[in-house]
Amino acid sequence: MATRTLAFHFTPVDGPRAVEGTRNPHAKATTFDPDTVEALQAAFPDAVGEVFLYANEHTVYVDRSRIVDVCRFLKEDRGFEYLADMGGIDLFVEGTRYEVFYNLVSLSRSRRLRLKIRVNEDDAVVPSITGIYRAAGWNERECWDMFGIRFDGHPDLRRMYMPEDFEYHPLRKEFPLLGVPGSLPLPPQTPEAGLTLDPFAAAHGSRPVKSFEEAESDLARQ
Amino acid sequence: MTLAPDSPLHSEGFLTTRVDAVVNWARSNSLMPMPMGLACCAIEMMAFAAPKYDVARFGSEAMRFSPRQADLMIVAGWVSYKMAHTIRRIWDQMADPKWCIAMGACASTGGMHRCYGVVQGCDNFLPVDVYVPGCPPRPEAVIHAIMDIQEKVRNEYSVATDAHRGKGAPEPTPLRPRVLTPGGDRVISPVALYDQEAL
Repeated sequence: MATRTLAFHFTPVDGPRAVEGTRNPHAKATTFDPDTVEALQAAFPDAVGEVFLYANEHTVYVDRSRIVDVCRFLKEDRGFEYLADMGGIDLFVEGTRYEVFYNLVSLSRSRRLRLKIRVNEDDAVVPSITGIYRAAGWNERECWDMFGIRFDGHPDLRRMYMPEDFEYHPLRKEFPLLGVPGSLPLPPQTPEAGLTLDPFAAAHGSRPVKSFEEAESDLARQ
Repeated sequence: MTLAPDSPLHSEGFLTTRVDAVVNWARSNSLMPMPMGLACCAIEMMAFAAPKYDVARFGSEAMRFSPRQADLMIVAGWVSYKMAHTIRRIWDQMADPKWCIAMGACASTGGMHRCYGVVQGCDNFLPVDVYVPGCPPRPEAVIHAIMDIQEKVRNEYSVATDAHRGKGAPEPTPLRPRVLTPGGDRVISPVALYDQEAL
């Protein structure tokens, strides 16, 4: 019987793309859009700050107060109709401590662009872009919840993840990893007990009793 | 309590036993789980109830999504501080007697979610009976947990005690399965059945 060579079929791996101007293998042609950057600089000469180009991706720093106008211009004139992502960054430095980024996508032209604004710690208020991109609503709520950056003009700026009475903003660098003890109550250990404020009640010796071990309640007696 | 060896009732097909033994046998083989599926462990919990692993062999295939009809809560997945209040509320709505399985590393200890938003083990607010290790546990491990719960049902809880709760009724001796061994009739825990050398 003849030996048969087993043929393995691996998924072909894309080789590095030849993108003009960079040797970064992760660079993509779709993130390179100098025309839009030039159009932005021409339309907002005083609002557009530094422009960084890394791995063929444009990052445009924009003045915080003009972000709504810049977004409207990009959406209506440059075809960036889709807000893929937005969120906050805590640089943990003095002064302009936070940044807010916006990743915009033009589905019609297959282009991507990243905007960034710098936010001062003393005055962490950013104009909301929900009037331009409705999808920014939850992202801005998340950013408020996690970093404490307020969004002026947001229709419903509640917390996204944490309870509404939570006092801290967890993704700030100074927030401890395991949280602040007592800030998030656990449920009561029996139906009529108070909230458990110790987050490690079991480690500290508390053992929730089985329901048939509970003391008879006033409600049951009634 | 037992019939005399020469009792005529033997030929009539009667046998005597304790109420606890019969009731607990019936209850242990008809546990109705409340699937508290919170994360990926819930997928493994589906496999444990599905035909291949077939928890119907243990009488627990009837998942009840109403806490009023369930007597076994399987906490499958990580518990956030927000969800903990809902879980405790559902647990309080379940009728007595009830049992709880913490399925997987996250439900037992918080697992890899060592952070501010996840409760570091649902035993911080629930009386957990059985902890299942694994991330996620294999369905066999959950079945083993069900068997441990069944042993608890048979041995720990007494209907007679429940009926006399608060009236100082004496605790009946726990029922242990009898195993015939070469050395004679011995009462052992079912856990020892896994340990062949102990037999």
